[in-house]
Parts: sequence; C-alpha cells; structure tokens
Amino acid sequence: MNRLIKGKTLIWPGLAVLLAFLIAVPYFASDYWLTLLVLVFIFTVYASGWNLFSGLTGYTNFGLAWFIGVSGYVSSILIADYGFFWLLAWPIGAIFTSIVSIGVGYILLRIKGVYFAISMVALTEGTRELFGTKYLSPITHGGLGVPFVAGIQLSTLYWAILALAVCTVIICYKVFSSKFGLRLMTIREDEQGAETLGIHTTREKITAFILSAFLVGLAGSIHFTYQNYIDPPFAFNINLTLTAIVMTLFGGVGTVFGQLIGAILFTFIHEILWAEFTQLYMAIFGAILMGLILFFPQGLLGWMKERGILPRVRTL
Amino acid sequence: MSKTEPILRIEDVVKKFGEVAALDHCSFAIEQGSITGLIGPNGAGKTTLFNLITGVLRPDTGHVYFKGEDITGKKPHEIARKGVGRTYQIIRVFPKMTLLENLIVVGKGKESRVIERAMELLDLVKLTDKKDDYASDLSFGQQKLLSLAQVLILDAELILLDEPAAGINPTLQNELMTLIHELNRQGKTFMIVEHDMNVIMGHCGHAIALNYGQMIAEGTCKEIQDNECLLEHYFGR
Repeated sequence: MNRLIKGKTLIWPGLAVLLAFLIAVPYFASDYWLTLLVLVFIFTVYASGWNLFSGLTGYTNFGLAWFIGVSGYVSSILIADYGFFWLLAWPIGAIFTSIVSIGVGYILLRIKGVYFAISMVALTEGTRELFGTKYLSPITHGGLGVPFVAGIQLSTLYWAILALAVCTVIICYKVFSSKFGLRLMTIREDEQGAETLGIHTTREKITAFILSAFLVGLAGSIHFTYQNYIDPPFAFNINLTLTAIVMTLFGGVGTVFGQLIGAILFTFIHEILWAEFTQLYMAIFGAILMGLILFFPQGLLGWMKERGILPRVRTL
Repeated sequence: MSKTEPILRIEDVVKKFGEVAALDHCSFAIEQGSITGLIGPNGAGKTTLFNLITGVLRPDTGHVYFKGEDITGKKPHEIARKGVGRTYQIIRVFPKMTLLENLIVVGKGKESRVIERAMELLDLVKLTDKKDDYASDLSFGQQKLLSLAQVLILDAELILLDEPAAGINPTLQNELMTLIHELNRQGKTFMIVEHDMNVIMGHCGHAIALNYGQMIAEGTCKEIQDNECLLEHYFGR
C-alpha cells in the first residue's frame, strides 16, 4: 500500500530528530516538564487508541475509561497486593483488559450508532459502581482505593510511556496504511454494503476493539502507577474518555499524527489557562472547544490536508 | 453438483414482516449464464428477494441454493465470498474512500495483483482518471459503475443488480447494458430488477414476474410479452 498512498519522505528525518530530543529530555528538563510530558504521552496513547477503533469504524466509544480502569486496577492490585514488578504488572493488566474486551465487543458491537456509545457509558459506570461495592472489596479494596508505590523513577516512567506512545503511533500508521485499515473504514462508510462485498465486519471491528483495549489499557496501567493510587471514581472517570475524544477532535479524527498534536495542544492550553485564569479556565476552554468544532470540525491535521498544506494521504 | 443444477434455486421461500408476507411460497431457478429480469410492482418483494439471496435477511421457511449448496441463513460475507455479488437500489459505495480504495478493499489475494485488477476494472468502467478521487465526488451514474466494478473484483459469478438503469442518462445506460452483455459472454450470470420494461425486454433472455410475494409468470421475454393481458391485470399497464 505504501506505493499507493505515500506521504512526503521529508517527514521522517524530522521525526527522528524529534525522537532523539524526547529521549534526552530527562537529562536536562525539570520534573515539572517531565510530568507534563508524561501526561501528554499517556493521553496521546488514549486518544490514538480511541481513534484507532472509533476513527476508523465510526463506532463512537464512550467507554474508553473502562479500558483504562480495568487495566489500571489489575496492574495496581498486582503491584500493591502481590508485589509484582511494574514491568510485569502493566502488560498483564493490558492483556486481561483485551481478553475481557473480546466478550464485551462480541456483545456490544452488535449495537450501532448512539446506542453503542450509551452502552459503553453504562458499562463503565456499572463497573465503577461494582468495584466500589463490598462484594468486590476483598479484591478491589472497595471505595477506599489502592494506594501503592511501584518504586519506579520518574525518568524511567517517562521513557516507558514515550516508548509506548511511539509504538502506538507506529501501529496506527501501519493500520491506517493497510488493507485491515481500509476494511475498518468500510464499516464506518457502510457496514451492510461491506458485508455483501464479502468483508467479515464483525471480525474486523472486534480485532480493532481489542487492539484499542490493549494499547489504552497499557497506558492506563502506567497512568495509575504514575499516580501511585487508584480508586473507582478516578479509574472509571468519564472525563478520561472525553479528554481523549476532545484531543482527537483537536488533531483530526481518522488521522495518524493528529492525536499526538491534539494531546500536546490540549495539555499546554489547559496548563496555561489553568495557571493564568484559575477560576475562568474551564469557561475559556469550553469557548475554545466550541470555536474549534464550529470552524475546524475536521481538526488541525484534517484542515491542513483539506487546504493542501499537507498531502491528502491516510498516513498522516 | 449435477450438470443440470441451476446456479441459483429458490425453494418455497416465505418471508413475513409482521403480518405482511413479502415473499409467499416463492420458488424458481436461475440458469448458469443467463440474464434474467425480475419484474413486478412496488412492494412485490423484489428487493426482499435480493436481501434473502445475499443473506442480509433470513427466510422464515424455505431454502436458497447456490450452485447446489444450501446457503440459507449463511452470513452476507460468506455468501459474497462464495460468488454472489449485488448492487443496491440506493448506491452503497464507500463515499469517503478513493475509487481505488473502494476496489482494493474488496479484492482478495496478493496485493500487487489486486491493485492491477482494480486498475483494469476502473479502465473497464472508464473511471481510471478519477482513481484517487473520493467516491462521493462521482455522479450518481458513475457511482453505479463503481458499484458494479466492486462486484466484479469480488469475482462474483452471480450478479444481482437492483435497478441498474434507474436515474442515469441514456448514454451511460447503453454503456452499462453493453458492459453487462460483455460480462455475460464471459460467463457471468445476471439477475436484474428493473422498472423500465424496455431494459428488461431488450436485454434479458428470461423474465420472472412477482406480485404479492409470489411468482405469477416466468418465461422468455417473448412469452412474458405475449402474456401481456396477465401483466396488465397485475400491473395495470
């Protein structure tokens, strides 16, 4: 497919320099900047994971926090109560989330449009309630939450999430330029039409759902290790989902690099507004968001592609 | 599969929507290599029949056989992969994908071969110069041609066309019908739903008339035409 849809080759050397710079950041930057970048990359993975499934298939996933919460809980409990090493606990959380997602996807991905979105919210809210009840508290510690120290340095955590973010963007790039990506797009375009042209839409969308669950779950595990704490309202917070979606809108739904750009823009605008206009920042932020949706519904990258500033290819 | 086995056999198919029987004990067969017209007034069950053959709907009772194999209740993508392709009355190409992508995504096998085949088909339907445009940028008639090209890259043996001539200009209509005859000579079997009787009479070897979900007449176009009084009775022409 690369022969067909290729971007400007100049982009790659630029990205290599950027990557080298990002790897070197912990050697000269303050903890404040490091923390900010950790958040940027966590949310890059959330937004890219969301976009990988929803941006391509058109099934709006309002239950991203469910992936984050389930994986976050599994890894946090393994570290806190069973003394697992963080590097082992994280993938176990993500794999567990992926496996449960097979069942969830098999049931809920039959539901289309807004009903799917609502059912994912219901799943997230229901799980949040369940994790706080006395029935599950022997495992989840109920509403008290799980405080823990994973014994990981901030710089190590930074490199881990940087590596995950880079892998996620590469996976998105690969998917968006593959036939698998095209098949996912047909689901968004016309699911029934795709089926009568021999595309096994159920299998394709569940595969994308699991892949999204794995990546987002892994970032969720890292997120709560970074916070040293997890509790149900924090883990299954719909704001996590909404933030990822808004970041995707900033950068452009269905683009490869839009989520990274969205995460950076969002985090820095957020940070500046919060520091300068502590009481008004949410109101200002809301106004920016409305303006964005009104004037740039296709997001920054989508807009640049439309204007011809960037080539109109799927691999950007 | 015996030699005399038709490519498609519909056996006593019933499909009800609530109390209304869209298809009521409908049976017929389509011979390999034929072009069969399917006629009948609105609501006669023509599109429902297409939906049952392609697995979009399941019949309540009865069976559908493709090349002797019972395909009743199989999933749409399985039936498509066996060699049944269809176009829709309302065009269902993938609008925000390029023409080339619209075809590549359907093709199976080695990628270079699929791309090559996609380019051949775009050439066949005269859309080569638009290969990188979005399908939504095409005219209605061109979208119909793209839709046919998708069915061809699927390599369907039996092609169901739902009103292929409706809403497109006469020139394009002629080109489309010429293409259908050409493909028919290459061995494709066609079943065409059409309201334009000229298209049916001029291009189909056989015709099947449906009304109230039942087959009311079948035969060569000549026979159907001679059966004019019957048609008049049913269609009020």
